[in-house]
Amino acid sequence: MANYKKEFGKIYDQYINKIYRFIFVKVSSEDIAQDLCSETFLKGWESYKNNPNIENPSAFLYRIARNLVIDHYRQKARTQFVSPETVPIIDPSQRIEENAALNSDMDQVKIVLADLKEDYQNMIIWHYLDQLSVPEIAKLTGKTEDATRVKLCRALKSLRERCNKSDHFTS
Amino acid sequence: MTEKELIGKVQELRQIKPRKDWVLSNKVSLLGEDTGFTFFPYFKPALAGLVSVFVLFGLFGFSQNSVPGSFLYSIKKITEKSQSFFVSDEGKTDFAFNLADKRMEELTRIAGNNQVKNLPQAITEVQASISEAVKNLSSSDQKDLEKLAELGKNKQIAEQILAAQIDSEELDNAYMNLTESLIQDLETRTLTEEKQEILIQMKELFELGDYQQALELYLVNQQ
Repeated sequence: MANYKKEFGKIYDQYINKIYRFIFVKVSSEDIAQDLCSETFLKGWESYKNNPNIENPSAFLYRIARNLVIDHYRQKARTQFVSPETVPIIDPSQRIEENAALNSDMDQVKIVLADLKEDYQNMIIWHYLDQLSVPEIAKLTGKTEDATRVKLCRALKSLRERCNKSDHFTS
Repeated sequence: MTEKELIGKVQELRQIKPRKDWVLSNKVSLLGEDTGFTFFPYFKPALAGLVSVFVLFGLFGFSQNSVPGSFLYSIKKITEKSQSFFVSDEGKTDFAFNLADKRMEELTRIAGNNQVKNLPQAITEVQASISEAVKNLSSSDQKDLEKLAELGKNKQIAEQILAAQIDSEELDNAYMNLTESLIQDLETRTLTEEKQEILIQMKELFELGDYQQALELYLVNQQ
């Protein structure tokens, strides 16, 4: 058991940031993101204890996180976004003015991204944020690589359209 | 906004990270402990060495209350043996008498607890310790004589509790030899009438084979 804990501890260290970000972009709340992220790893650990031979930990955790987010929205209608001031974005930039502008852009992208269809959100997050390749995403979603590529293009197009409609990016 | 610019904006979201303290506390609550540390550091030589030292000290500590026939008694004996290496030549007699007293105390505890099966070993231990203690005693050393007398008394107490005699040829011989030497020494001295009377009584006891009583008579009148 101690060995399982150690191994799962490594998986936790490797994926905690990605899973948290994946959830946070969708729920836009630090508290909810933390809760769902904790639950993701808890479920992951419980499964891992029974069967440690997980072929693809990344896909395994994303699947759990995705289902939890879906359950979350099923249970509770999404009614609010967290204001930009409460969002803990770590920014290495030193210039305050640039920071303010950057954070503002990031928040807007996040808001627009969160408004996308769930499938499109996942495509954007996995490919452009988590840098998963098309074959990896295909494996994750169980779709063909061609279908994944098409979906990725549609997702990016949809995001671009929404950004172009947004006052923030057009002004 | 171009596609490249849009992708750039999306990638800026990589800066979203959970708080470090939350990441750590969540890991601890999930896995029960910081996996960087294991409670049983069997595979960490330095810690394993430290644990071994603690365990050994613990065992030595617990073993001090053990009695012959019990699991930890051999550890107690090893501890005593180790201690004897650090005792100076002058202190060896004292050390041996202390051990003999300990053995008799153990014997009385065993007898008091009615641990019959441990009695033979305890008696053997007492005999061996007495034999060791009475080696190299000198009649000219008042302290040696006092220790011998005390040992004899303690042995009598143990025998009373045990309701049996503890044979010790070495102790009997020590009494005999020391008392004989003592009498011979007193005969060469000029004694007061009172002391001469005591010497006569000592000789009588010696003749009767009551060496212990003869020695005690001498010691009582020395005080």
